[in-house]
Amino acid sequence: MTSKEEEYDFLFKVVLIGDSGVGKSNLLSRFTRNEFNLESKSTIGVEFATRSIKVDGKVVKAQIWDTAGQERYRAITSAYYRGAVGALVVYDIAKHMTYENVERWLKELKDHADTNIVIMLAGNKCDLRHLRAVSTEEAKKFAEQHSLSFIETSALDSTNVEAAFQNILTEIYNIVIQKAPADGGQGGGGSVSETKVIKIDDQKDEKSGSKMKCCQKGN
Amino acid sequence: MADKKSSFWKRGNDTKLPGRAQPVANSPDLRPRSKTFEEYEKDTNDAWDDEAEDLSHLSSPVKPLEFNHTGSGEFDVKFSGKKAPLKSRIKEVVKPRSHTTGGMSTSGGGTGVQHSGSDSRRNAPQDTGRIRSMSPPSDPFDDIPDRETIKLQKFGKLLAGPNTDLEQLRKLSWSGIPSSVRATTWQLLCGYLPVNIDRREETLQRKRSEYLKLIDQYYHMRDDSIHKDTFRQIHIDVPRMNPSIPLFQQSIVQECFERILFIWSMRHPASGYVQGINDLVTPFFVVYLSYYISGDKNAETYDLSLLPNSTLNMIEADSFWCLQKLLEGIQDNYTLAQPGIQTKVMRLKDIMKRIDGSLHSHLERNSVDYLQFAFRWMNNLLMREFQLRSVIRIWDSYLSEADGFATLHVFVCAALLLKFSSEIQSKKDFQEIMIFLQNLPTSAWTDDDVQLLLAESFKLKYMFADAPGHLQN
Ligand SMILES: Nc1nc2c(ncn2[C@@H]2O[C@H](COP(=O)(O)OP(=O)(O)OP(=O)(O)O)[C@@H](O)[C@H]2O)c(=O)[nH]1
Ligand SMILES: [Mg+2]
Repeated sequence: MTSKEEEYDFLFKVVLIGDSGVGKSNLLSRFTRNEFNLESKSTIGVEFATRSIKVDGKVVKAQIWDTAGQERYRAITSAYYRGAVGALVVYDIAKHMTYENVERWLKELKDHADTNIVIMLAGNKCDLRHLRAVSTEEAKKFAEQHSLSFIETSALDSTNVEAAFQNILTEIYNIVIQKAPADGGQGGGGSVSETKVIKIDDQKDEKSGSKMKCCQKGN
Repeated sequence: MADKKSSFWKRGNDTKLPGRAQPVANSPDLRPRSKTFEEYEKDTNDAWDDEAEDLSHLSSPVKPLEFNHTGSGEFDVKFSGKKAPLKSRIKEVVKPRSHTTGGMSTSGGGTGVQHSGSDSRRNAPQDTGRIRSMSPPSDPFDDIPDRETIKLQKFGKLLAGPNTDLEQLRKLSWSGIPSSVRATTWQLLCGYLPVNIDRREETLQRKRSEYLKLIDQYYHMRDDSIHKDTFRQIHIDVPRMNPSIPLFQQSIVQECFERILFIWSMRHPASGYVQGINDLVTPFFVVYLSYYISGDKNAETYDLSLLPNSTLNMIEADSFWCLQKLLEGIQDNYTLAQPGIQTKVMRLKDIMKRIDGSLHSHLERNSVDYLQFAFRWMNNLLMREFQLRSVIRIWDSYLSEADGFATLHVFVCAALLLKFSSEIQSKKDFQEIMIFLQNLPTSAWTDDDVQLLLAESFKLKYMFADAPGHLQN
C-alpha cells in the first residue's frame, strides 16, 4: 500500500464531519492543496484526500475523509467513521444552529466510531467577525466539558488551518506512541508488530470490510 | 438462467432498438434456434441506425466481447477484423453536424417544431443508412452532412404529428438529438408533452399554470419550522451548483432553482430534497432555455435579464415537471439509506467483475470499495464527472429509454471504468486510485468521446440484458 515516492511512518485516518455548508471541504482543500473556493461544490457522499506532515520528526500521513453534511447521507457517511483515529467536528461560527448540532455529530461518532477516537471541535469561518453568532468562550467551555480539543479556523484566510490538523495529528500520534512504541513493541493490545500496524481500538476494527488501516507504519 | 447457454444475439432478435428497455424475462424463445445472418440483419437493422450503428467497430478497451458464445459463425465474420477507427470517422460526423444544426436556430415562443428548410435529399432512401451500417465499412460515413440533415428531417417529421410515434422518436434519439429539436423531443420523451400535436399547447398552458398554483400553495412554507432545514439546504446548495457556468450564478436563476427544488421536495416527502438533486435540474433548464434564445447564443453564458419574465416562468415550469418525471424513475436513490444507489453500485460491481476481472481485482487488492467512488456517480448521475454539454448528450440516450436513468446509467458507469481501466490499474495504491477516480480526466472530452462511451454502454447493456448469465462462470 505504500509507494516509494511517499514514504511515511504513520498513516492516520481522519474524518471531517459537521453540518452542510460549514466549510469542511474548504478546510480540507486549504490543508491539502492550499486552495479556497467561494463556490465549491457540495460534497456528495464522501471525498478523500491526503497530506503528510512531520510530527516529532516522523512523517505522519493523514488520510482524510470529507463527508457530506446532509442528514440523508448519514447512513453512507457513518460507515467511514470505522477505523478513523481522528475526527474534526466543524461548525460555522456565524451560524448558531451548526454549533447546536455539534451534539448530534458527537452522538454519531459515539454510535459509529471507535471508542478512543480523538475528536477536535473546529469553529470555522472565524474571518466573519461581524457575523459571529457563537462566542469563543462558549465553544471552548463546551469542548472542555466533552473533553475535546478546540480551535477556531478560517479556510478563507488560512487562520489556524495548519494548526488544526497539526494538533489533531499530534494528539493521535502521542496516543499511538504511548500505546505502541515506535520500536515495534507490543502495545495497545495486539498491534501487529511485524507490519507495524497500530490501532487505537482493536476491538472493532476487523468488522468492516475495508482493509484500510487506521494507522500504519510505512516501509 | 436456465437459458444461459442460448446466445444473446438470438434473443436479441426480439429487440428492435438500441436503448429500449430489454425484456429480461425468461419468456421461452420459440424461434428457430439458428438464424441466418440475413435474418438477423433484417431483424436488428434499425437497432443500428445512425451513429450508434457502428458499435461493432468500436475499438473497445475491454477484451472483445465473446461473440463466439453465440455459436453463430456469421457473427464471427461480421465482428471480426472490423476494428476500423470509428473515432476518426466520427470526427467527420461531428464537424459538419454542428455546422448544420448551428444554422437552424429555433425562434422563440410557441411549441411548434422548426423544420429545416428545403432539402434536396429529402427523398433519399430511408434504408441507405441501414444498408451501409451493416455492410463492411469501406467508407460508411462519406455522405455524413446529408445524413445529419436527413436525421433532422426525420425528427421534424415525427415531431410535426399529428401523433408523434414515440417508439420512432426514441429510436432516432438514442444516437443524439439535434439541438434545434432537443427541447421538444425531451418533453415528449419525458411524457410531459402529449404525442398529439393538437393537445400540446393546451397541455403546456395547463401544466404551467398548475405549477404557478403549486408555488402559491407550497412556497410560503419554506419558513415553517419543519421545512426550513430543507429550504436552508437548498439555499446553500444552489449557489454552489455549477460555479464555472455563469448562467447559474445569476440570482434570478438561483431563485428558479430554489422554487423548483423546494416544491418538488414538499410533494415528495419520502425522499425530500437530497443534495445532488439540484444538479439534475440543470440539463432541463439549459435545454429549455436554449429553445427560447437564438441559436448562436450559448445558454451557459446567457444573461437572463434579457428574457421576458413570462418566458422564464415557462422554462421554470417545464423544468419542474420534467425533473419530476425523471425522479419518478429513480426515487429510491434518495429515500432513507438510499437503497437505489446501493443496488446500482452492486450492479456496477457485478458487471465489472464479469467484463474486466483484472480491473476488478486491482480495486479489491487495493481495498477500493465501489461505493467509495461510485456513490456520487449514481447520486448525481455522473453530472459531477462530465461537462454539462456532455451530460446533455448522455441524457438524449437516457431519455430515449424507458428506464434509462436507472438502467442504462449503470452501464455508462461501467463503460467509464472500462475506458479508464488501464489508467486505474497503473495507479499503485488505494490513495492514487481514489484520487484518480474522484477526478476523472474528462474535462477535455469531445462529443466523439461521449458518443464512444455511449456506444460501449449500449454494447454492454445489450449483452447483459439479453444474456444475464452470459459471462458468468
Ligand atoms: N467566509 C468564509 N467562508 C467559508 C469558509 N470556509 C468555507 N466557506 C464558504 O462556505 C461555503 C460552504 O463551504 P464548503 O466547504 O463547501 O462546506 P461543506 O461543509 O463542505 O458543505 P457540504 O459539502 O455540503 O457538507 C462555501 O461557499 C465556502 O466558500 C471560511 O473559512 N470563511
Ligand atoms: Mg463539502
